Amino acid sequence: MPARNHAQWTATPPLKGDEWIDSRIYSDQAVFDDELERIFKKVWVPVCHESELSKPYDFRTFSIANEPILVTRGPDNQVRAFLNVCPHRGMLIERRPSGSFLEGQPSGNPKRITCMFHAWQFDLKGNCVYVAREKEGYQDRLCKEDVGLRRLRCEVKFGGFVWVTLDDNPAVGLEDWAGKPFECLRKTLEAEPMEVFHYHKAIIETNYKLWHDTNSEFYHDFMHYHNRVTGFNDAYFARKNESFEHGHVVVGTFEVNYQNYEGFESRAGLSFPHLPPNQWYMIDLFPGFNFNLRGSALRCDIVTPLGPNKVMIEFRGLGLKRDTPEERQTRINHHNSIWGPFGRNLHEDLIGVTGQGTTMRPGTEPRRVLHGRQENQTIHDENGMRHYYDEWGRWMNRLPNDPEQPWAARAEAQPAVAAAE
Amino acid sequence: MAMNGVNAADAVRDTIYRATMYLDAQKWEDWLGLCDESFHYAIKSFSPEINYDMIYLQGSRKEMLTMMRLLPKHNTDHSPLSRHTSVYTVDVAPDGKTASAVSSFVVYQNMLDGVNAHIDAGESRLFLVGKYIDKLTIEDGKARFIAREVRLENRRLDKGSHWPI
Ligand code: FES
Ligand SMILES: [Fe+2]
Repeated sequence: MPARNHAQWTATPPLKGDEWIDSRIYSDQAVFDDELERIFKKVWVPVCHESELSKPYDFRTFSIANEPILVTRGPDNQVRAFLNVCPHRGMLIERRPSGSFLEGQPSGNPKRITCMFHAWQFDLKGNCVYVAREKEGYQDRLCKEDVGLRRLRCEVKFGGFVWVTLDDNPAVGLEDWAGKPFECLRKTLEAEPMEVFHYHKAIIETNYKLWHDTNSEFYHDFMHYHNRVTGFNDAYFARKNESFEHGHVVVGTFEVNYQNYEGFESRAGLSFPHLPPNQWYMIDLFPGFNFNLRGSALRCDIVTPLGPNKVMIEFRGLGLKRDTPEERQTRINHHNSIWGPFGRNLHEDLIGVTGQGTTMRPGTEPRRVLHGRQENQTIHDENGMRHYYDEWGRWMNRLPNDPEQPWAARAEAQPAVAAAE
Repeated sequence: MAMNGVNAADAVRDTIYRATMYLDAQKWEDWLGLCDESFHYAIKSFSPEINYDMIYLQGSRKEMLTMMRLLPKHNTDHSPLSRHTSVYTVDVAPDGKTASAVSSFVVYQNMLDGVNAHIDAGESRLFLVGKYIDKLTIEDGKARFIAREVRLENRRLDKGSHWPI
């Protein structure tokens, strides 16, 4: 077809209704605000790995849907999560990204979580244990028992990741939420303790879902010279995209030929437990968390949406805790040569989604974004994204290809699609 | 013949500054021409988040050369980088044959692509802050790199880069 005029450009594509979306779901502030309320405040979020809090009293801080979170390991070795908000006058209790409550602070004692502002102190279970001049100010009207921290549901699971939800009564428990997609790697990830060896973050001007899309679709391997030369063969094109309940997707494995990229080596010598050599699995969890195992190193991406057109992505790399220094070096090289901030593929992926973000900024004309490839649910089939947006539509009560319409409108508008599924 | 300390330190500074200019000009082979066969390159950063001294990229002279030669096959952000280097200390070994040097650097990204080239192109943004920790060998009045450790303060690296820093 020659270049199109405006009416042709904005016409409905000759695809089924679930094979494309309207770009307003990436650019509208109202959609974004809804996503924080309806999705991010409800789901299980993997905030970090337990090796980041390896000793009692270690802590890490995060945020989910704008709410500040504090995760800490108690003297009983239990990892707990709290809102990082002081019940007195709303001070952020811990300001650093990490540290240990074993150290005393100018306002407080060791082994206590202290708010610097008026020196209220909490133990590692979140109980308030000290209110400065309590009786003098509150007499018998309010006491320590009334002002504990806000505890959050927190579990360590699926290879030692720390999962938190802001919802006290999540629709499903963590096992039911993500157990099935993790099944393919569970034995591998739980065989022995892992350790994080890599962390960096990107804050880029794009929608968080475009990053998750990129992690879920492999058609963009055409953009990666590395993946073309190490991947494109019959086994690669036979890889399956498998959909799971709750919007999750797993991309099945095959054997990567790393040595086809000049200067790279096979990773067979350092395969994760219970895996044949040079396998590559990808687990994409709704609404934006990714676990990516390439033979010798595990990568985990966590998105924190900051606006319709702004996302923070935290990148982690993990190896086995028992690695010798030499093994660890090799894993780090394997991880970073492709996935590091100076690696061959990650830079390309981030340029790609930034470019999408540029054309779909708030205020741009709504566009059709296609995910209509059908290839028997193999690697370049875009069923993973279709599955994701089905789930997204249900949580948001919006049609992904017409976000002003409720999800229920889908059945009426697209009977053929509903029947096909 | 070993040089006196002052001349040797000058040779070290000269090599570090030349490296900065070659890197800015993306003359990778000229940059590696300043490096000994035994050269080792690493970009490192300490992460308080994970309490770990990380290696973001590393390679031998040969590995860096291979990587640079493959660059035309990769999609890369087009915005050139400008490094501002200040050599802080040069310590020449008593025999005058080797030296170590610490330099401070900042790297600006001179936007060509940016997010929207129409808006961003022509703007310079601070990209990286860190130190070069260099080891050099001195021979015939010339200093050559044996090792360069690029120590970044940044862990927020946004789009990242395909280029050595
Ligand atoms: S705000 Fe925390 S003690 Fe007052
Ligand atoms: Fe990619």
